[in-house]
Amino acid sequence: MKMIRAILRPETAELVAEGLAEAGFVSLTKINVFGRGKQKGITVGTVHYDELPKTLLLMVVEDANVDTVLKLIHHKAYTGNFGDGKVFITSVEEAYTVRTGAKGL
Amino acid sequence: MKEIIAIIRPRKIGETRNALEQLGFPSMTATAVLGRGAQRGIAAEVKHINPDLLAPNHAGGMKYIPKRLVSIVVKNVDVATVVKTIIEVNQTSQVGDGKIFVCPIEDAFRVRTDERGESAV
Repeated sequence: MKMIRAILRPETAELVAEGLAEAGFVSLTKINVFGRGKQKGITVGTVHYDELPKTLLLMVVEDANVDTVLKLIHHKAYTGNFGDGKVFITSVEEAYTVRTGAKGL
Repeated sequence: MKEIIAIIRPRKIGETRNALEQLGFPSMTATAVLGRGAQRGIAAEVKHINPDLLAPNHAGGMKYIPKRLVSIVVKNVDVATVVKTIIEVNQTSQVGDGKIFVCPIEDAFRVRTDERGESAV
């Protein structure tokens, strides 16, 4: 299993979530975060914004589905401008469902 | 070291914290998050949600449900105890009790003392 953390524009996060649900990846966790990238935030006129609002989508999928999810995120979240976001993939060793105590996704 | 990421009901956070504290795991990080599982949120007042009915199509439904994300870093030997405790405390036998993920942690660092590795946890 892999955990996929996608830091996206808040306005595209909902598109991504809908696209993922259509493709059968319904479960996800949404967290509102603040951050900046290589561009060190954004300067509008004389005002510099150091931390930009972003939405972090966190989901855990089977190894075989990682590429599908990544393609979907790229397809839905792409605008071509700086600030489209980043996706990080980490490994998950075990998963449990609390209600049943069963192992696995 | 392993990181245990549990996404649980917000009302259960106090009970979970007390149970883990008694076992000797007082440290944790909790975040208010929104999420949905295989049931696609809550579909209006329906008790048994039909997965075919998408929650957003229902007036009064909820696309995302408020949850607490709890992150605890423990030694390898303690993983089973913590997972078992979280499951026991949070079971209500109703859909939406949450999920637990166990992820590997490569290294840890304590800012105050410069300690590294397991002693920093």
